[in-house]
Amino acid sequence: MSSAINNPPGSVRTVFTAAWRISIWSTLVFALGATVAFVFLHHYVAGVIEQRSDAWLLGEVSVLSDVAERTPRGALYDRIVDEIAELATKEVPADPGRKTDTTNSVFFIETDASHALKLWVGSGNSAPYLDAIGRSSITPGQPEDVDIRGFSTPYRVVQYQTEDGNRIYLGMSERNDRRVLGRMRAYFLAIFLGIVLLGFALAFFTSKRLLRRVRRITETAARINQDNLQSRVPTTRVNDEVAQLAGTLNHMLDRIARAVHQLHTITDSLAHDLRSPITAIRGKLELALMANQQENASEPIVSALEELDRLADLLTRSLDVAEAEAGALRMHPTNLDVGELIQTMIELYEPSLAERDLQVALYRLNAVSIQADPGLLHRMVANLFDNAIRHLPRGSSVSITLESRGATGRLTIEDDGPGFPTEVRDHLFDKYAKGPQSTGNGLGLAFVEAVVTAHGGTILATNTPQGGARLVIDLPLAG
Amino acid sequence: MRVLIIEDDPANQKFLLHSLEQNGYDAVVAATASKAEELISAQTFDGIILDLGLPDEDGLTLITRLKSAGMTAPVLILSARRSVDERVRGLETGGDDYLTKPYALPELLARLRNLLRRKDLSATEDNTVLRVQDLKLDLLRREAMRGEEVIELTTREFSLLEYLCRNAGKMVSRSMILDQVWGMRIEPETNVVDVHIYRLRNKIERRGAAPLLRTLRGMGYVLRDK
Repeated sequence: MSSAINNPPGSVRTVFTAAWRISIWSTLVFALGATVAFVFLHHYVAGVIEQRSDAWLLGEVSVLSDVAERTPRGALYDRIVDEIAELATKEVPADPGRKTDTTNSVFFIETDASHALKLWVGSGNSAPYLDAIGRSSITPGQPEDVDIRGFSTPYRVVQYQTEDGNRIYLGMSERNDRRVLGRMRAYFLAIFLGIVLLGFALAFFTSKRLLRRVRRITETAARINQDNLQSRVPTTRVNDEVAQLAGTLNHMLDRIARAVHQLHTITDSLAHDLRSPITAIRGKLELALMANQQENASEPIVSALEELDRLADLLTRSLDVAEAEAGALRMHPTNLDVGELIQTMIELYEPSLAERDLQVALYRLNAVSIQADPGLLHRMVANLFDNAIRHLPRGSSVSITLESRGATGRLTIEDDGPGFPTEVRDHLFDKYAKGPQSTGNGLGLAFVEAVVTAHGGTILATNTPQGGARLVIDLPLAG
Repeated sequence: MRVLIIEDDPANQKFLLHSLEQNGYDAVVAATASKAEELISAQTFDGIILDLGLPDEDGLTLITRLKSAGMTAPVLILSARRSVDERVRGLETGGDDYLTKPYALPELLARLRNLLRRKDLSATEDNTVLRVQDLKLDLLRREAMRGEEVIELTTREFSLLEYLCRNAGKMVSRSMILDQVWGMRIEPETNVVDVHIYRLRNKIERRGAAPLLRTLRGMGYVLRDK
């Protein structure tokens, strides 16, 4: 026994919007992908640079060893090898277009078999170089990384063993390679950050624009209710998914509007077809009554008139409930103070209630004003009072509490009578449902529920712990 | 007073014609919109009773056209539709009135009377004191007296008595009372109006005097003016 109240979409904080989530996720995926691609690229470039350095080292060391082997030993030997080595250090492969500092970048060492220094070409003291080479075991012809004290970047060192047992070492600092890679990383980071931020902004704004259209559709759809079936959600010329959603929604609204219109036509013609003869019968009875005003003969005419009025009333109520159940009740809502309305109804019913020793108390905890059709609401409250008068034992009391809770106004009607009979408790709001002792037409509560639902509210019927009946009606407050 | 009845149902036609003539009106019947238009262009009517469901044209369209063509006669609309159209309510504020079928004849007569009176507002509306037999209502001081004796009434009881006095000698139905005194068009399933009348009666009737307020069973009440 509850129907959801349509909340018009309010403003949502940016971090909770779908646009925000979509942009965050797409940006994350993009960033991850770009990072993985970069790691591979970095690895590849580093490998290529190393290969190039190694090829140079191997080439130079073979030239040097060739020279060393062919040059006879003596004073000349040192000079020639020294010069060749000097030349080699000038040919260091550096990145083009940039002045590279070649100092400290290449060294040449020749040792004898017992690892004693024979020749040193390079800047500064040979001791740390010799020391580092001594500590590492380098396979001949296989370039390797060697850490040398005093330098933050390692050296790539290749060894060559001459036939006379001497060892030639040629080392090149990896400083330049590292610098190239470092610059590449810096470029990547800058471009990466730029692209990620731009991508995020782009994703956020496009999805926001798209979702704003969805939001407009939601807002319009929320505004469309039964008294306003004519409006349609906005459509655009672009035939994308959102436009299709709007189109489908509009198509559905067309069908609903047609069905409601059809129902109105049917109930109108039914009402017309039945009411016109009732009016004619009533007219004849009234003429007859006026003719025999003073005589006893008027009694059957009077009761016939009363029966006819009941029939007409039953017809009205049945059609109202039928229309309301189909969500097609015709409404002309205005802003209403529910407390005032009930106060007036209490005042109208007070003598009838007092006649049956019934006490009614209204507690207005807050002012409750809603958008409602006054005629329907009057009839709804009249139904509730008629029920009370019919079903409550003498001396009972009814309390009506009116309060606002957030966006809803709550009307609680409680009595200390016998409560709803168990036979009807599960289908209280069904048409023609009535208790075994009921003298009503069984449409009262069905009509009450119909009116409540038509106004976007909910109604709940229970028995109180003390055994009385309790109705809780929630209606959305006026915006 | 010449009244045009525009109604297609023969039984209702006959009943309306008969009742209006009995109540001193000069009534003419038209069964279709075109016939009605023909009659209105040929002669002047003081009031029009219009059934909305006409065979050849929607009653509201007819009225709107006639009014824009300069017809000034007030219109009482009879509608078999249950809830009343927004446009009908619009007409109500424009000086016309409506009644849903089935209606009680006294109510129809009362509303017709009101409409015709509204047309030529006479001095009776300006009265600040209403007198019916030895009952006196001072509308400014909101005071009611029977002979020399002041009657203590609640605000609503005063309004009820005022309404009865204004219609003294004519019958008013329960739904007319609910509409005019409480401002609601409801049809209670219990006798709420009767109980209010009962209370009022206890206050205004005097032992030994002929009763002022009479019940017409199945129809309503009448406050006797003589």
